[in-house]
Amino acid sequence: MATIFRKIWDRHVVAERDDGTCLLYVDRHLIHEVTSPQAFEALRLAGRKVRRPLSLLAVPDHNVPTSPDRLEHIEDPDSRKQIETLRENARSAGITLFDIDDVRQGIVHIIGPENGLILPGITAVCGDSHTATLGAFGAIAFGIGTSEVEHVLATQAIWQKRPREMRIEVAGDLGFGVTAKDVILAVIAKIGAAGGTGYAIEFAGDGIRRMSMEGRMTVCNMTIEAGARFGLVAPDGTTLSYLEGRPAAPGGAQWESATADWRTLRSDASSRFDREETIDASRVDPQVTWGTSPEDALPVTGVVPDPSDHPDPAVRARRERALRYMDLAPGTRLTDIPVDKVFIGSCTNARIEDLRLAAGVARGRKVADGVTALVVPGSGLVKRQAEREGIDRIFTEAGFQWRLPGCSMCLGMNPDRLKPGERCASTSNRNFEGRQGPGGRTHLMSPMMAAAAAVTGRITDVREVLKG
Amino acid sequence: MEHKGKAWKYGDDVDTDVIIPARYLNTSDPAELAKHCMEDIDRGYASKVSPGDFIVAGKNFGCGSSREHAPIAIKASGASAVIARSFARIFYRNAFNMGLPIFEAPDAVDGIGAGDVLALDMERGTLRNETTKKQYKVAPVPPFMRELVTAGGLLNYMASRRKGK
Repeated sequence: MATIFRKIWDRHVVAERDDGTCLLYVDRHLIHEVTSPQAFEALRLAGRKVRRPLSLLAVPDHNVPTSPDRLEHIEDPDSRKQIETLRENARSAGITLFDIDDVRQGIVHIIGPENGLILPGITAVCGDSHTATLGAFGAIAFGIGTSEVEHVLATQAIWQKRPREMRIEVAGDLGFGVTAKDVILAVIAKIGAAGGTGYAIEFAGDGIRRMSMEGRMTVCNMTIEAGARFGLVAPDGTTLSYLEGRPAAPGGAQWESATADWRTLRSDASSRFDREETIDASRVDPQVTWGTSPEDALPVTGVVPDPSDHPDPAVRARRERALRYMDLAPGTRLTDIPVDKVFIGSCTNARIEDLRLAAGVARGRKVADGVTALVVPGSGLVKRQAEREGIDRIFTEAGFQWRLPGCSMCLGMNPDRLKPGERCASTSNRNFEGRQGPGGRTHLMSPMMAAAAAVTGRITDVREVLKG
Repeated sequence: MEHKGKAWKYGDDVDTDVIIPARYLNTSDPAELAKHCMEDIDRGYASKVSPGDFIVAGKNFGCGSSREHAPIAIKASGASAVIARSFARIFYRNAFNMGLPIFEAPDAVDGIGAGDVLALDMERGTLRNETTKKQYKVAPVPPFMRELVTAGGLLNYMASRRKGK
């Protein structure tokens, strides 16, 4: 009686040490410009080759500008060099590259799935912690460091300790104005930013079953924000419908045999988990973070907490520091917090469904005075689809900027970043100090909530906007 | 072998974006990264840290990104080890892959103040706070991880295995 995680893991064990550390075969390896150059350089110095170039896909995403002139000019010389290095490494090793002028270019965790490269039952790695996103397909997908990128390039395998397993049941239906982002923020608030440390988390339950693949990817994307390297969802009809016909997905007779196998990829009813948690989706309100850890999420109807209410002195100290950084006073209603910038994008929330939901709020409204709002599609294909649906026009008519794909304002290493003291309603995944730029203040929320903040100029309960 | 140095004390959830902010990730030069290590939470660290000093922190140290630049920056800054209540898993792995020793030691963390002088014996797993004269046990490093640190990181470990050493 095995869990889906165990079934996939066991299929990939090449060797096992006495202490239980396993050498796992890697099916799919995605690389971007920031965490791969040193790996290629070291490989060259060691005189080794990329073992299986066909398993790889390369894309520049972290430091590419999202402005229309990026094809002519990238200002920052170091960023330009990283992008050129990726290009050269991909070319010389025979690795497929979706370059910045390719419609398939986009955020690494978004382009893998949309091109059908991520399938149930596979192992996938990338030098990026948000690789957990890909677990939404019923895959073991996890972030690795650059030494490990090199190890995988050279050997197609990676040493990993078997994690403990947690099951999180998302019971019931999501309410009006509540999305996958709110569910995962509520989960992180409940178990804590280190609650999943050492675990693989399987998300299950009606709330997950009724979620689209886009929603499931949002949930798995942020499992790392709860400390877990792996998040996954067993494949079902929704998964298969998403995959069928994608460029790299199997076709014809291969599709039949693949899907027959994928149907076996679920946790047996009697599987034991090291830990089980349940969250009632019907009781989750739209969430907003007030502090500098993703666990600092509260229902939008709440107030900024008083650090002195917490019994643990370490938590008190962290919260006091967070409030100083965020320039917020205890007791402030979240809906009284004004914003300067709005960012709709990132590997968490830049898929087509996210843009549709945000556009539904922006439609017929205007970005509030003094607010700068960016919409950054997660890939060229998402952008094209959105433009076919007229979503770009809804945003631009409302006063949002419509950008080219990339990681953008999620992490402050390209031209899109906050200035010191600026406050941002953001659909990204991390509200760490300085994450969106030094001194920048981040409030994490869903795309609908971010669009609501854009049109009102403050953190707002999107349900009120849609009702009113 | 004993390592001796001062404690640089931080709280819970020190994330990789403060260990080394993303705006510096377009280089992988250790010396350059070391210059900006911890600068968003402690402007003094990079300029004042002495070789052999320790970073001492609360729970979930290194949470966030998979950037190996984080342990590289700490190691290049001169710190001899990080001692924390607990570590985030990707950081934990990256640290050993980079040959940066790290220790989980909740009791010791509570008993260490900023600037305390510490002496760490990595082999014996003992940590002495010379300022308070208290002694602590630190969790021994798992065998595979110890092999990585001894070899000087994952890639040197691989190289030595290939040579059949």
